[in-house]
Amino acid sequence: MKSCLIVDDSRVVRKVAGRIVQDLQFEVTEAGDGADALKSCRENMPDAILLDWNMPVMNGLDFLRALRREQGGSKPIVVFCSTENDAEHIGEAMRSGANEFIMKPFDADIIHSKFAEVGLV
Amino acid sequence: MDDSTYREIVELALNGSGQHIPPTKSYLIESRLGPILRREQFAGVAELLACIRARPSSPLGGEIVAALTSKTTHFFRERAAFERIVNHVLPMMASSAPGGKLRIWCAGGSSGQEAYSLAMLIGESENEALKDIQVEILTSDISEKMSARARSGKFGHFDVQKGLSIHRLLSNFSRLDTGEWQVSQDLANRVGVRTHNILQDCSGLGVFDVITCCNVIGGMGSQMRARALVNLARQLSDSGVLVIGKDETATGLVTGLEPSRDLRGAYCREVTPGALTAAA
Repeated sequence: MKSCLIVDDSRVVRKVAGRIVQDLQFEVTEAGDGADALKSCRENMPDAILLDWNMPVMNGLDFLRALRREQGGSKPIVVFCSTENDAEHIGEAMRSGANEFIMKPFDADIIHSKFAEVGLV
Repeated sequence: MDDSTYREIVELALNGSGQHIPPTKSYLIESRLGPILRREQFAGVAELLACIRARPSSPLGGEIVAALTSKTTHFFRERAAFERIVNHVLPMMASSAPGGKLRIWCAGGSSGQEAYSLAMLIGESENEALKDIQVEILTSDISEKMSARARSGKFGHFDVQKGLSIHRLLSNFSRLDTGEWQVSQDLANRVGVRTHNILQDCSGLGVFDVITCCNVIGGMGSQMRARALVNLARQLSDSGVLVIGKDETATGLVTGLEPSRDLRGAYCREVTPGALTAAA
């Protein structure tokens, strides 16, 4: 079974997204900030990462840049999922190594569609 | 909603758009007619019907028929077929295209996502054969409301994230202050919009090289389905193809229409000329 790490400082978002991703046949793990997420990836590099932007300790962008520099860090498919919905932010996320971008708010159909775009389903 | 009201609505829908509303789906009637009821301040569907009976020439009848139809669509809903149309079928037709122009018609295209999807693929195509070809895309729907939406080229936050990669979104749309996204001028220039009922004669729309009618006729009874297919097929050019949804079939419904050899699930006119008719 494929694994997906959900990184968001909102517990509600982690639970909601987690359920949706579980329905897509993924084993789900969670992290509340970029530092936690990096630690989790070092233990077990996931197949997919759903990544929020604004988080304490280490934000999504810094985590992504750090991840891609890690050994095996180019493997996970990273789908950014953020309220920062303007072209500049989206562009910066994509240039930093994201594979796709979901603009919040999202629903199950959007996650399904975006995961399909990047070949995760 | 009482029985006679339900039956009257069902008949109205059946005759107007061929749509079949089974008793299990009667809840759709109230939800889809809700906006009209509120706008016209009717207490319920029965009152709405009474109004139409009293004024049979009122445009309300047509509006109800259109409101009852299913509007579900999203970008790249028939992705595989669309990619094959743009990457394989259109280039094949290009060399013999009269005046260097090819025409596509998305029949029952609701708010236009299908047509804009095809327009995006054509814009992305690097195929030499399509370089000097002008591809005109028409999208039509029975609902004036959906046609207006297609014409506006504006799509909401959720719609632009279904079927569209972020790359395609940024390349083909711009974000408005309202949070909606507007198709580029390039895309808008490729797509025309009409309001039209495919159960009626379509000759006014012209002849097309590709006609798509995806997920439109599936809900119709076989007689209406055949009528719609005949009307559409009559507008096909000699080498034109008719594409329906991947879970749908037109086999055996129309005499004079045969499965296409270039596109699985699509149909074309039989080589021996003859009138297109509903199969007996």
